[in-house]
Amino acid sequence: MQFGVFTVGDVTVDPTNGREPTEGERIKAMVTIALKAEEVGLDVFATGEHHNPPFVPSSPTTMLGYIAARTERLLLSTATTLITTNDPVKIAEDYAMLQHLADGRVDLMMGRGNTGPVYPWFGQDIRNGIPLAIENYDLLRRLWREDVVDWKGRFRTPLQSFTSTPRPLDGVPPFVWHGSIRSPEIAEQAAYYGDGFFANHIFWPAEHTRRMVGLYRQRFEHYGHGSADQAIVGLGGQVFMRRNSQDAVREFRPYFDNAPVYGHGPSLEEFTAQTPLTVGSPQQVIDRTLGFRDYVGDYQRQLFLLDHAGLPLKTVLEQLDMLGEEVVPVLRKEFDSLRPAHVPVAPTHASLRAAAERAGQAGENPATDLAGTGAETDR
Amino acid sequence: MTARTLAVVSAGLGQPSSTRLLADQLAAATRDELVGRGEDVELRPVELREHAHDIVNHLLTGFPSEALRQVLDQVTGADGLIAVTPIFNASYNGLFKSFFDLVDADVLAGRPVLVGATGGTARHSLALEHAVRPMFTYLRAVVLPTAVFAAPEDWSAGTADGALRARISRAGRELAEQVHRRPPSSGPADPFALTTSFEQLLRGGDG
Repeated sequence: MQFGVFTVGDVTVDPTNGREPTEGERIKAMVTIALKAEEVGLDVFATGEHHNPPFVPSSPTTMLGYIAARTERLLLSTATTLITTNDPVKIAEDYAMLQHLADGRVDLMMGRGNTGPVYPWFGQDIRNGIPLAIENYDLLRRLWREDVVDWKGRFRTPLQSFTSTPRPLDGVPPFVWHGSIRSPEIAEQAAYYGDGFFANHIFWPAEHTRRMVGLYRQRFEHYGHGSADQAIVGLGGQVFMRRNSQDAVREFRPYFDNAPVYGHGPSLEEFTAQTPLTVGSPQQVIDRTLGFRDYVGDYQRQLFLLDHAGLPLKTVLEQLDMLGEEVVPVLRKEFDSLRPAHVPVAPTHASLRAAAERAGQAGENPATDLAGTGAETDR
Repeated sequence: MTARTLAVVSAGLGQPSSTRLLADQLAAATRDELVGRGEDVELRPVELREHAHDIVNHLLTGFPSEALRQVLDQVTGADGLIAVTPIFNASYNGLFKSFFDLVDADVLAGRPVLVGATGGTARHSLALEHAVRPMFTYLRAVVLPTAVFAAPEDWSAGTADGALRARISRAGRELAEQVHRRPPSSGPADPFALTTSFEQLLRGGDG
């Protein structure tokens, strides 16, 4: 199982001292967090993509390329890549380039973006969100899998005899996750292609996540990619830890109360009961996280949100230390011992390349046969 | 026989509340009419006051607490809806609007709705027509012709069995007729239901 962190990249005032980091400080903090993630033994760092303040990460492959150069084994990912407002041609090029530079340590999570005004800045319309996600992604897949593409669609200029360069590393496109909070069409899209499905999880009740993941698993099986329990599932999580759980609650409360999204709404206690947010001791985080499996089944990737709501970098790095030293080793062992042999781990470049080689047809859609990638290593 | 379900939503803030009183009388009138047509009836009273914090939290976080989710399912899955609000500043109160702001645009489509209101003066009565009725029309509900407004004088001893009683009976009859002629509701809408095939989506259909 893979463990990691995902970051939104928000610039938020620290409510305890009124201090707001500069954009530069926040960008460097994100890099520091990624490097720390590798240092403490996590597997994945995923950055958001945004094109409006107060968010800084507008250029994910620039940041991920820089991190790639400074890490050895960390898997670089996104949460999410805007498949609606980005040109799929540019996504194909940028991430294939990143794949080469990072020696294959790359995957992506597709998302639509829910901020209406952003769409027209990129010539699109939020009312076309789903159709854009469907058409753009279908083109992106072809650009990575076919050397020469002729294409015509609704939303971008037609392509004639187009070759996206560089070609994916070893002819193996990056693995793709699809993230969605509440659109069954996106669970369907992930299932149709045999891609991964990532449930945001953190802003929603468990019941909601259970049903979205259940739909994806059922449709994954329907489309013949394997049995429902072999579908590739990722979950978000949100934690704040201190040795003593009362200290964790006391320290985190002002950040919670003023946080973007849920601040000034439900109490910390209500939100903790209703969503996966866990504020307490490392052991409480372990127990709660193991419980996710009860309603989504055996899953392949767990990402934690740690650096938001104005939490200072020093605190986030302390969280990463606890995660890496005390929480993830236990979770890794427990989840791995619970997972049946026929349930695959998350695909990686190595496992996808091996699957392609086994198929004797490198580059021809290896990602659709996940069951065959079974017991490969996680990283 | 399947009981016909009536959600009875009251946005009164006082306790006891005249808004709740009107809602209960409208519910009783509708129930009696349905029973007279041979139907079993299940009333689902909803006091929004009890869910006020959850309603605000849902507006802010985008999801309902478990208790509020059950209430929303009860309301959107009922065969008929009775919705009663106090009139504040010439319109429904904020609690009433906030609750119905949490209802997705399609889930009440075609559903018979009886609207009622209470107010400190009879001069508020047309708020039912210029505020409450258009909101449900936007939701494509079938708003019954008779909307019932109760002013202070309607509750006074001399008139309690008079004009207000007659309007309540007429409104109850209208709602009962609409519920009776429709098949039972199939329950709350499933937000996770796929309404289109992926092939259709790929071809550029948006379902």
